[in-house]
Amino acid sequence: MISLKNVSKTYLLGEEEVKAVSNLSMEVKAGEYVSILGPSGCGKSTLMYMIGLLDIPTSGKITIDGKDASKLEDDELSKIRNEKIGFVFQSFNLINKFSVWENVLLPAKYTKKKLDFDPEKKAEELLKQFGIWERKDFFPNKISGGQQQRVAIARALIMNPTVILADEPTGNLDMKTGHEILDLLDDLNKKLKVTIVLITHELDIAKRTKRRITMRDGEIVGRTK
Amino acid sequence: MKLKNDIYHLLKSAIADFKRNKIRTFLTSLGITIGVLSVVLLIALGLGLRNYISEQFEGLGANLIMVMAGSGFGGGDDGGGFSGPAGMFGSTVEFDERDVSSLRRVQEIEYVVPVYFKSLSIEAEENEEVGYVMGVNDEFFDLMNSDMLEGKEFDKSDLQGRTKVAVLGYTLSEDLFGEAEDGAGRTIRIDNMRLKVIGVFEKTGDSEMDKSAVIPYTTTFASLNPDKTFWSIYLGVASEDEVEAASEKAEEALLRRYKEDEFSLTEQSEILSTINSIFAVLNAILVAIGSISLLVGGIGIMNIMYATVTERTKEIGIRRAIGATKQDILTQFLTESVVLSILGGLVGLLLSVLIVLGIRVFFPAAINAVAVIIAIGVSSFIGIFFGVFPAKRAANLPPIVAIKYE
Repeated sequence: MISLKNVSKTYLLGEEEVKAVSNLSMEVKAGEYVSILGPSGCGKSTLMYMIGLLDIPTSGKITIDGKDASKLEDDELSKIRNEKIGFVFQSFNLINKFSVWENVLLPAKYTKKKLDFDPEKKAEELLKQFGIWERKDFFPNKISGGQQQRVAIARALIMNPTVILADEPTGNLDMKTGHEILDLLDDLNKKLKVTIVLITHELDIAKRTKRRITMRDGEIVGRTK
Repeated sequence: MKLKNDIYHLLKSAIADFKRNKIRTFLTSLGITIGVLSVVLLIALGLGLRNYISEQFEGLGANLIMVMAGSGFGGGDDGGGFSGPAGMFGSTVEFDERDVSSLRRVQEIEYVVPVYFKSLSIEAEENEEVGYVMGVNDEFFDLMNSDMLEGKEFDKSDLQGRTKVAVLGYTLSEDLFGEAEDGAGRTIRIDNMRLKVIGVFEKTGDSEMDKSAVIPYTTTFASLNPDKTFWSIYLGVASEDEVEAASEKAEEALLRRYKEDEFSLTEQSEILSTINSIFAVLNAILVAIGSISLLVGGIGIMNIMYATVTERTKEIGIRRAIGATKQDILTQFLTESVVLSILGGLVGLLLSVLIVLGIRVFFPAAINAVAVIIAIGVSSFIGIFFGVFPAKRAANLPPIVAIKYE
């Protein structure tokens, strides 16, 4: 469903070329729960941004649902991000001038197709499921970090995406809240069969997933079955 | 429904942002407010000035032809503007009663009014005022459609009898007797001649007319005007369609006695069209001057929008990550700059309406459709024109750069 073939990403830092990701191939199947583990600077975030079609590989091929992303126009990339990918960031990345409710619904405002579901109903379901329905009219800076991350996950799920890309989702949370968020992701995968790619530098967190990919210096150095 | 929803969302987003930056929003749109205010006010004052001057002439009636010694106003082959009445500027010819009777023979002309005109000191019991003495015949009242406030006009018998009577303009009567109405029945003295005031005109708005003492022209022959001459003759034409023909025939009649450059005929409509064309140019200049401040306001908007884009790079990244296209981002920022500038434009328009209403008490300033269209049209244009560059920068930010921005 998502496949990367010989993907490389090179940055120019002044005169020097820096390889963030080199010649990397991997696959994520529908319904999988995969973690990408590695120390900071190993290229795992770059990898995630490329899978999420926010960044373009220098070489190699990324295919999502059979579509070759390297051949797509900016508008089509936007469309795929909107319909097929849900991002969960370390720093939540909610828009502070919008309420919880508006943040969750924002992806639906950008859709160009006619939705086969009612986004408001879906948002209500998600917020209720995550225990933050009473906070729906609050602004992000008036609720706790754990609650903000739940809002972000609800936003990532609103369009029924193919995959959730979670980049250090517990990085800004205390241990207890972090575990609650991870439990929530576990639940989503187990009960709702949501495909999740979890990026982390902590082995403890990576161990929660069924499959683990370990990266170092832009390359995959280990895979679990 | 979808479109309505989208616009609602865009506006809501823009307003949410303005609320977070109240002072900045206020100051930015203030630039446009001042720009629109200056353009609309300058147009209003220009129109007012035109109206004011037109009123002075329109009071004389539309079917009027003025015969003047010299090259006259606006007309004439030398196009010499306002060369003034004979006598005052030393012109060579002066008209007399022979001219009056030869002009009477022109069929299209209904009224022929010889006009003796002089600025003089006019005395009443206690007061003395400088006013204008106008020696005319009884047809003058019909030609001018004059309305009486008090008393009556003089008639043919007064002309024949050279009676010492006068009809006063509103302002003159007011200045001499306190209340304009009080003039009728009193006595005034002009050049040692005692005249009985038999009537007072309603206010006309024509400052010359309102300051005049109108007397039978024959009465002036006694001491004021022993030569029995006039510096101008007013002609009234029965219908507007005949003004052209009447003017030509009157010219023919006068050419029998005078040379072409010794007199001029000016139609009322000609004066008005000259005035209108002068003010069209004046107005264009005023708009151009006012537009400079609009331009400065527009640059202010551009400046702030660039700052906003930089400030909200992260927000742009988030929106791109969840599926906003370049077009979506462009529309969003363009909406903000247009709303900002229309907001400023409307406030400017509102303020100028209030100011114009205030000015109107003593000056006929006016806001017309053009001013309103300029205010709204130009401010939305400025919003788009000066907003499009910052909005393009926002739209063209690579998503990865925007989302990583801290």
